[in-house]
Amino acid sequence: MKKLLTAIFAMASTTCALAQETTTSPLEISGSVDTYFKYDFAKNPLNGKTSFVTDHNSVSLGMIDIALKKKTGKASFVGELSFGPRGQTQSIPDAAAGGSSFNIQNLYVNYEFTDEFSMTAGYMGTFVGYEVISPVGNFNYSTSYLFTNGPFQNAGIKATYKFSDKVSLMAGLFNDWNVYSASRGVSAIGGQLMVAPVEGWTAYINALSGAGYGGYGTIIDLTTSYQITEKFKLGLNAANYDIKDSSVQGSYVGAALYPQYAVADAVTIGLRGEYFKAKAYGPNAATSTTAVTLTANIKSGGLTFIPEVRLDHNSDKPFFKEGGAAAPNGGQFSLAAVYAF
Amino acid sequence: MKHLLFIILAIFSIQLSAQQKQFSKDDNGKFIYYKVVDSQLVSKDTLLQRAKSFINVAYKKSMTQESITDSSVLAKGTMVIDKTILVAGHPSGEVSYNFVFEVRQGKYRFWLTDMLYIPYQRDRYGNFIAATKIGVPLERTPGKLGAGAWKDILNSTYSKIEKFGYEFKKYLATNRVDKAKKKAETISTKKW
Repeated sequence: MKKLLTAIFAMASTTCALAQETTTSPLEISGSVDTYFKYDFAKNPLNGKTSFVTDHNSVSLGMIDIALKKKTGKASFVGELSFGPRGQTQSIPDAAAGGSSFNIQNLYVNYEFTDEFSMTAGYMGTFVGYEVISPVGNFNYSTSYLFTNGPFQNAGIKATYKFSDKVSLMAGLFNDWNVYSASRGVSAIGGQLMVAPVEGWTAYINALSGAGYGGYGTIIDLTTSYQITEKFKLGLNAANYDIKDSSVQGSYVGAALYPQYAVADAVTIGLRGEYFKAKAYGPNAATSTTAVTLTANIKSGGLTFIPEVRLDHNSDKPFFKEGGAAAPNGGQFSLAAVYAF
Repeated sequence: MKHLLFIILAIFSIQLSAQQKQFSKDDNGKFIYYKVVDSQLVSKDTLLQRAKSFINVAYKKSMTQESITDSSVLAKGTMVIDKTILVAGHPSGEVSYNFVFEVRQGKYRFWLTDMLYIPYQRDRYGNFIAATKIGVPLERTPGKLGAGAWKDILNSTYSKIEKFGYEFKKYLATNRVDKAKKKAETISTKKW
């Protein structure tokens, strides 16, 4: 592994020396701020089984996110930090540090050797899955089970080759999921095939194998979206994760469908329908959840209001009624305000 | 007090002049940026060659030549619209357009029309990419909620296109062969 990495860096630095800088872009500054109110129908905050939007009957904070990007010639960097519950205590690397620090969303450098070939090294938002940590990147404010159970971020080095505007391939070596430095070495290999068969339709077929949640495992993921008309967009995410050691919890399979329809210039209504199965491990049986989330995005300039109703069902009763008794159903209403700049 | 009044008046005048910048409409009711330029010193053939070079060399990353005759060039192009906060900002979208260039002896004209706006959104890696493949005509009337943002987009687009027009006129007025020769000159410090 060391030899392979040394070879990659040597190749990269040689080509860097040969290449000429051509253009410099101004420093880009962007980011977001988000806050929300959530009301759980059973008045129990434990009914939220996916990431973020945790508090019941409270006007609560999401995070402030600040990203910097600069490109000089063929080289560029992105540095993105977040502060606040969504970016601190509820983000995995910072939770491990006691939740008192900030969370790095992206911290990487990129070099475009040619118009087709580029390499990136650092800590990046994961290439796996449909949803992301930043509320600006998602249509729904609450998150899916597939997002919560998959990787959030990956540190590593990756190479991307763009065959055309319709096909590109990425391959890389990564640390275990969601860590700034590897605890088990650079021990995962990942790849992504992007295809855009028709105008408006893009599909990503992702694979990541090696050190991950629950030990060593392999995740296969399909993430696709199709802007069918000016008003109608359809998204799909399907994934399967198998941990090598079948006695360990964490393997899953699932799919989520995301139809969205723009009812006006500034208003889009969307549905997320998800099926998620946590696979059996050791003596424990598999358990399945279905969830339906109805969301609206109402935009005014940089501000987006996101009212949302979410209903979850699992016949194994992981939810709670108002009195604390186990229940097969969970439900919540939330209203979020997200400002992107 | 006089100084304060002067500053307020100056700012007000700048604002008024900024508001006056807006697209004209063509016969079909579409926004158009249209310029006729007198060019007595440069021949028709040279102007045509320079226009072709502008599209295929200077702006090759953002323009594609569609067709050419002995007196005209048609092209398609896109330009990135920025949100700028003093010296820093980020791309907020792109505008695609059709570009027409026509030349006669002693003058030429060019115009940009069929402008479609595609908003950008930040992806998971912190880069700004097109949020959709389907553009919105710049002539549309936005709803109340998006009116302010749409006005900013129109202003930014006009500024960008005005800059594009200036660069095009400058490119057609410049002899690039002479310019290249001048650049190749070396200065010796041995004798003085």
